[in-house]
Amino acid sequence: MLPKKATMRSLLMEHWELARTLRRLQIHFDSDRCRGVWQCYEVCPIGNWTPDYDRMVAIFRNGKQCIACGACVLQCPEKAIELRIPDG
Amino acid sequence: MATVFMKWLESRPLDYDRGIRLLTLGRLELLQAQIVDRLIRDGMRVLEIGCGTGRLAIAMAEKGAQVTAIDISPTMLTEAERRVNQFELEERINLKLMDASLIGDRFEAGYFDLVVSSLVFSEMTPQMRILVLQECLRLLVPDGKLAIIDETLPDNHATRLIFGAIRLPLRLLTWLLTRTTTHHLRDFASMLSNAGFSEEIVISRLGGSLQLVIASPADGAGIYILPATVLGRLRHRTTLRTLLLDLWATFLRILPPYPKVTPGLYVVGQPDMDSPVLVTGNFELTVRRLVREIDNRIDAWVLVVDSAGINVWCAAGGGFFTAEKVIGALRVSGLEGIVRHRALILPQLCANGVDGWRIQQEIDWDVHWGPVRAEDIPEYVVSGRVKTDAMRWAKFPLKDRLEMVTVTLGFYGLLILLPVAVFWRNMLWPVLVSLVGLSYFYAVVLPWLPGRDGLAKSFSLTLISLAGLLVYIVIWDSLPGQYIFNWVLGLTALSVFTAAELQGMSPLMRGEQANWGWEAVIGAVLGLIYWLIPYTLGWR
Ligand code: SF4
Repeated sequence: MLPKKATMRSLLMEHWELARTLRRLQIHFDSDRCRGVWQCYEVCPIGNWTPDYDRMVAIFRNGKQCIACGACVLQCPEKAIELRIPDG
Repeated sequence: MATVFMKWLESRPLDYDRGIRLLTLGRLELLQAQIVDRLIRDGMRVLEIGCGTGRLAIAMAEKGAQVTAIDISPTMLTEAERRVNQFELEERINLKLMDASLIGDRFEAGYFDLVVSSLVFSEMTPQMRILVLQECLRLLVPDGKLAIIDETLPDNHATRLIFGAIRLPLRLLTWLLTRTTTHHLRDFASMLSNAGFSEEIVISRLGGSLQLVIASPADGAGIYILPATVLGRLRHRTTLRTLLLDLWATFLRILPPYPKVTPGLYVVGQPDMDSPVLVTGNFELTVRRLVREIDNRIDAWVLVVDSAGINVWCAAGGGFFTAEKVIGALRVSGLEGIVRHRALILPQLCANGVDGWRIQQEIDWDVHWGPVRAEDIPEYVVSGRVKTDAMRWAKFPLKDRLEMVTVTLGFYGLLILLPVAVFWRNMLWPVLVSLVGLSYFYAVVLPWLPGRDGLAKSFSLTLISLAGLLVYIVIWDSLPGQYIFNWVLGLTALSVFTAAELQGMSPLMRGEQANWGWEAVIGAVLGLIYWLIPYTLGWR
């Protein structure tokens, strides 16, 4: 009934993979899709998004501060934001 | 850090299965087999509420039923999907992410021949049970059947006592091994008859504590409209109970059981049909803090959603606080018949898990992301939902950092100090002092340490503590070599541990849960070496 050794190890590996992925995730913003709904601005707890009222788009800044919480990704109705692991 | 435990619970559907099997001593499967044997005919349409990992759904589909299986947990559904594919039953089983309170909206009346559900009703609030049973009544064909397996409290007092005595260690064991637990239903029979069903067959197992009830719609059972129900008025008060809870929350918040508030609709002040609707999770502390900030300032409806007793940020991140749950809670509350507007104010910090657009599309309520901190809510509401930038940015001010360090020290301090106290008495004070000192030091300097997560920050913390040690040796006391070696290892272990502690305590660091596991492992291994080396080298 107890988890076997092998599963314990796979659990830890899974955990490790998750940690690695989380550390490398970066925001990828497709500004062409953005039509200024600014939900990202509404939800980002870090303040990484600011509305540009003239061009009716959102501006992403401060990528380094992003905690990869995924709030902006989930709330964007245009699916313009993704959290990705950069290539290479 | 409760999330670490809670995440494991949900992220381990297999553990859940194992836990349930252990807790019901395998009887659940036997009762499920009864459902399959007695009720399933080829080609019948079955709705399963709360399919979990899909075991019953698969058994029913294999016997020819067309199964629609819903569950509220995305992780459970992923596991169920995997199994359904494995059995190649995709054609027969339709899996859906859905709150049980919504079945009436999503399926046609009179569509299903059978509705089944195991260990689900006992997890619902009484209001929700009635609502869901009513909907079942509507969804069933006239000669349809309802089959519910659930835990019940035996009627007989003696049996109840034995039941309790056997269950206690079993529950504890199951919780420890799999972090799974269940609840029981009090009044199974009257619950069914109130909702318009008549019992046909009852099969009891485990001294009557686990029951399978097969029921069918009673003659003349009409559709009953659920009245809007307000569970009570929330007030900001300090009582002995709140004081004790606060004390517990200050030192041992990390440990379960997490105090919860019954999910449902509450009022603060004297709200009317234009008053705002504030949504929150059901962690007792969350609700109490919200009420403390808004009581006597604004009148509002407060919709408490079942977030498994976890704070909203962690619950949303862990999949416990979802759009489905908000929709379900709203439906059960009857709020739609009370207020004139359709605006929900959700805590901003649940936006990482609650899909706002989904709420809008499904039930046509507008979602507004409220301020991060409860103290800003009155201003936000009074100004007509104007959110300043200061309201939307999460901060982790010194006061909060110190509070969080105290919270974690309560539990992790014990974790570290107990073994030290038992095996290594004379080191208790040095370890205690370094742990407490390091923790508070870390809390103070946190924003200035380089790195975005605890693991990175732990490196600098280690360096600083080692520098401190060096200064100590140079200025005050030249320790013998093995002592220095010991201190270096020990301080490194404590630093890593300390930095790990604050992870997950603020929404400002990345990858909290994931890193935490590794920090704990590193800290524990270093600690072990620290403790073992003197013995192996014969220094002691
Ligand atoms: S993932 Fe979270 S922290 Fe990063 S930009 Fe989006 S909302 Fe902000």
